[in-house]
This record gives sequence, C-alpha cells and structure tokens, in this order.
Amino acid sequence: MERFNNAVSKLFVVIMAIITLFPFIYMLLASLMTFQEATSIPPKLFPAHPQFKNYAEALEEAPFVQYFINTIFVSVVSTFGTLVTSILSAFALVKLNFKGKNMLLLGMAALLMVPYEVTVFTNFQTIAQLGLINTYTALIIPSLASIFYTFYLKEFLSSIPISYYKAAKVDGCSDLEFITRILIPLSKPALFTMSILSFISGWNSFLWPILVTNEPEMRLLSNGLTSFATESGSNVHLQMAASTLSVVPILILYLIFRKQIIRGVVRSGIKG
Amino acid sequence: MEENSFVKDMTKQEPSKPKRWQNYSAENSPQAWLYLLPALIIIGVFNVFPLIRTFIMSMQTGKTLNSMHFGGFKNFEIILRDPKFHIAIFNTVTYAIVVVPVGLIISMLIATTIYTKIKNKTVFETIFFIPYLTSVIAIGIVFRYLFNGDYGFINYFLSWFGIGPINFLDDPNMSITTLIIFGIWSGLAFNIIILLSGLRNINENYYKVADMFGATKMEQFKRITLPQMIPIITFLSMVNFINAFKVYAQVYSLFGGKAGIANSATTGVFYIFNKFYVDFKYGQGMAAAVILFLLILTFTFIQNFVLKRISR
Repeated sequence: MERFNNAVSKLFVVIMAIITLFPFIYMLLASLMTFQEATSIPPKLFPAHPQFKNYAEALEEAPFVQYFINTIFVSVVSTFGTLVTSILSAFALVKLNFKGKNMLLLGMAALLMVPYEVTVFTNFQTIAQLGLINTYTALIIPSLASIFYTFYLKEFLSSIPISYYKAAKVDGCSDLEFITRILIPLSKPALFTMSILSFISGWNSFLWPILVTNEPEMRLLSNGLTSFATESGSNVHLQMAASTLSVVPILILYLIFRKQIIRGVVRSGIKG
Repeated sequence: MEENSFVKDMTKQEPSKPKRWQNYSAENSPQAWLYLLPALIIIGVFNVFPLIRTFIMSMQTGKTLNSMHFGGFKNFEIILRDPKFHIAIFNTVTYAIVVVPVGLIISMLIATTIYTKIKNKTVFETIFFIPYLTSVIAIGIVFRYLFNGDYGFINYFLSWFGIGPINFLDDPNMSITTLIIFGIWSGLAFNIIILLSGLRNINENYYKVADMFGATKMEQFKRITLPQMIPIITFLSMVNFINAFKVYAQVYSLFGGKAGIANSATTGVFYIFNKFYVDFKYGQGMAAAVILFLLILTFTFIQNFVLKRISR
C-alpha cells in the first residue's frame, strides 16, 4: 500500500512538472512552425522544418528591438536607483538611531500593505500633470525606491555587527566611507540577489508602462507584446516567437543564477 | 526645533548611563534622515501621496483631471449600483476563493512529495519555480493559444479522453473557469518554493522519534508536518489572497486586452482600469479602488484571525 502511494504521488509530481513546463516547450516549438502547422487541426507538436525566419518576421512586424532596448534601459536604471536608495536608507535604519525611527518603520510597514494597484492610477495622474507621459523618466521614477527591498536589505544588514560601525567611526571613517568600503562589500550577496529580482520585475512590469506610454517607441516588452498579439491577429506562430524572445532572457538568467534567485525569493518572501 | 529637543534628550540621558563610550554619539544622529531622504522622497511622492489622493478623488466628480470638485459619496453610490461592478467583485471573489485553496492544496501535495519521496529535488524545484519569474503576459499569450477552441492543444488533449471540445475563450460562462485554471497554474511556483523551504526547516529528529514509536507516514504528516507548517501556510494564503484580489494582467493577456467575451471576466482592477483609462470617470474609478482596498484589508484580517484560531 505504501509503495503504491509512493508511486502515485511521484507520478502526480511528474505530471504536474510536465504541465508546468509544457506551455514553455510548446511556445518554443510553435515559434518554429509555419502558420499552417501552428493552426492545424488537430494541433501538431513538432514543426516539420524549424522556421527560424519566424523570429526575423516578428522582429520586422513590430519594433521589438526598440522594446528590448527600452526594457533593458528602464530595468537597469530602476534597479540601480533602487540599490542606491535602499542601501542608504537600510543603513540609516539599521546602524543609526534617530528620533521617530520606530514611527517611520511602522509607517513603512503599513505602506507595504497597500496594494500597488490602488496607487498606480493616481501615480499616473501625477505623471500626467508633470507632463511626463511617454518619457523614460515616467517609466523609471516610481521604481527608484522600494520599501520592500529596503526591508529586505535591512534584514541582511542587521546581521553585520554594530561593532564594525563603531570601529570604523573610531578610526575616523565617515558614514559614506563606511557604506562604500565596508557595508557594500559585506552585503554583496544580498545586493546581487536584490538586483536580479528587481531587474526581473522591471522586465516583466506591465500595468505601469501601459498607463504612462501610448507611443509605440516608448513601449516596454510586455505591453509591446500584448499590442503585437492584438495587431497580429491569428499569426500565432509569430506571437509565439515574440513571447519566446521576451521569456528566454529571463530563463537564461534563472538557469545561471538559480540558487541566488530562489534563496532571495524565499528570504524576502518569508520575512517580507 | 527637532534637533533642539533631540539634543535635550541626549543631555538628559547621558548622565544616567554609566558607560558613556557605549553610547557613541555619532550613532544617535539625526543625519540618518539625510540617508533616508532619497528613498523617502520617492516613497512620499509615489506611495503616500497617491494613496491619499485615491481617497480624495473617490469623493470628487468632474470630467477632466483639472476640473474635479467635491461630490461627497456620489461616486460610491453610482459604483455600488453598477451591475458591472457587481460582476467584477463577484468574479474577483470567485477567483480568489477557488484559486487560493486549490492552489495551496496542490502546492502542498507537490512540495511534500518532492521533499519526502524524490531524489532529484533540485531538478523539480527548478522546474516548478519557472512560472514565477517569466512574464505573465507572455505566458498568457501562450495559454490563449493553448486554450484556442479550434487548434488549441488543450482541447486536443481532452479529446483523447472523450471530453470537450470546450469553448474556453469565447463562452461567457467559461471565462472565469479559464482564468482560474491559468491562475492556479501560475500561482503554484511561489507556493511550492516557500513550502519546500518550510519543510526543510522542520527538525528531522521529530520524524526519527515518530518512526521509533511506529507512527505511520500519514500520522506523521498530520501530527508533525502540518502543525509545523501552519505559520507558512497562513502567510501563503494571505499573500495568495491579496494577489488574487488584484488579478489583472492574467485577464488582459488571456483575453487579448479585453475582459473576456462580453466582459464576462471583468475583475476588480480591470473595472478600475476601464473606468479610469477608457471611460475617463476618474472619481468612480478611484471609488472602486477604495472599495477594493478595503475589501482586501478586511479579507486579510478575517483570514488572519480564522487561521490563528485554527492553529490553536
């Protein structure tokens, strides 16, 4: 009985793993099919001859190269901004004592409870009133700081003994020197994980870019992808090629930095 | 002003503490605000201010953003009477109360099996985590293709078992079910990873002792694993519930930028988006946002309370 149970539950996990992977595999396969193959009834699993030109065609039909450049630029700059603001604020929250610190921490924790979707629309208005629609500034500015990552980093920094800070102070080290010469080198792993996670969420961001951009040249990958999907109609093979293009970079990042990413999500998940 | 009172505090405290060198004064430093400033400006402008503004605007009426004026609770009255809003809330709640428990149970089954019975844990962990990182939009487009009524793979697969064809995308009665399937699929990743890390943290000696006393695996699961995992399950169900209430991108990509056929899959956020970005009824949109926010808060508190009760 126990052995039977074992077999059944293993089979279940294997089937679920297949279900999890299947959309990705099928996306890849269909991206290499001809239009006839992709829409044949019954559906085909494998293309007879891989059509690599689908990718070239998809890239031609919509400015995906521009989307890529935009996405990478926006994600990198917001990640960098988040890193800087989070390091500074996490340092202040962990190593310094000041009046109102507890109130501030409480307020920030309360803000974490506010769903992004509740504030995103009024943020759009702020941006619209500043006349920043269709600019990189609009895409980047709200994600230049993050309470979430500040708390994530704070958790990590609190494991660095306060005596390091005191010793540095005694040796006449300024706060900024302490941050750049001691704090950052010591918290490299956390900063690294943070950057990957922040980059990925920038890469996948959707609601904000769709609100603040309406010119095709300013789109990011995900909203470029949805507009391509509606415009290209039934050209599913091209849609699959475009989806593959936007998913594969993240998959490669994941396969290289699997450990750091999973550890980072678990850490921030459980404590956040 | 603040600095003054701060100095007073310091002078008051210092004589009472015998070891002055331990209270190194650079530590009690208001310059902390300087380091916090960049983050606080951004958070203030893009987190605090919009939250307040959402509440203010929910009470305002007006055709353009610059001519808004106070309108009392009129927006709320309109919204609460709007049948579309009822559908949106009904859909959102249905989605949440199906996706969260079903997703959690499936994740729990997968996580415990991986942890107890499978050798290549990393391989499976790696596979199951993929959907968490990949764009919901891209995968939604893939699912749209898989769900297609004519050439979709899912109907083809179901036909092997004599089921279907099911009109996943173009039948108003199916939209929410389709959305739920996609929602469960995309939610498993996070749950499994967190559950696995929780399982790893359970002290193995508990199981050794249980084995010595001849407890069956089932008993061990009920008496050891489950109670130990309650905090993590509580956390996950809360995160899942909040995310389910905010479901939006899934709908957008699955139904090609619309809320399903005949708006049958409108969710709360989708409703807000349409009011705001399509109909330009800013006040009404924000009133809906306030209601959604309060609903999320209430659900979170109720759930927290109930789960705490259960775990006792």
